[in-house]
Amino acid sequence: MDRPIPIEIRLHPERFDPLELLQHWEEGLLEAGLPRAAATSSFIGRVRAGDGVVALELEHYPGMTEAELQRIAASVSQRHGALACLIEHRVGRIAVDEAIVCVAVWADRRGPAQRCCQELLEELKHNAPFWKREWNADGSSQWIEGNTPL
Amino acid sequence: MGSSAPGSIRIRLFASLREQAGWGERDWPLAEPTTAQQLWAELGLARSLDGVRVAINQRFASADTPLESGDELAFLPPISGG
Repeated sequence: MDRPIPIEIRLHPERFDPLELLQHWEEGLLEAGLPRAAATSSFIGRVRAGDGVVALELEHYPGMTEAELQRIAASVSQRHGALACLIEHRVGRIAVDEAIVCVAVWADRRGPAQRCCQELLEELKHNAPFWKREWNADGSSQWIEGNTPL
Repeated sequence: MGSSAPGSIRIRLFASLREQAGWGERDWPLAEPTTAQQLWAELGLARSLDGVRVAINQRFASADTPLESGDELAFLPPISGG
């Protein structure tokens, strides 16, 4: 059986700096004694400007959301033979340009690193319990059901 | 989970479902064997179960899973994360 790989998952009620978290994640893996991976893939998603939207609100299901993220990360990482994986996700009200999600993967080669990173993102967008609401400049809002195109 | 009254389940709604219903959480007596699908009809929410996912005790589950006393049942509108 494959050994479980390091998986870090955090939900952030406040804004985070994804580049700082990526650096911190890599430092932590090295400090834990892992050899630096040859391939790292990462994705940072931010709140899109436009259409009068001033902020997003992200609701989640405390307990289940974390558990589903953990399950997704373990299964997708194993399928791609990843060496480590990170998921940082905002919840609550998020202003335009702020980071919503940051996913990163360590692997031996660019193929598994990139494929694993993309699949993690798609899986969490469709299967981790999060719900987006757009807030408009006039104070009105609408829930978003479904995802933006790939 | 374990927080509902004896002989009952806890029902939770999220996001648009919660706002349409006007409540997010309530205990529901479990008098006879039932499923999420049957309860949905009893709740009388103005929406079909199409596109709504069910979780029992914080795990995705089929809407025809028999419910047990103490279960936490959640109805989840279409997910939009990331």
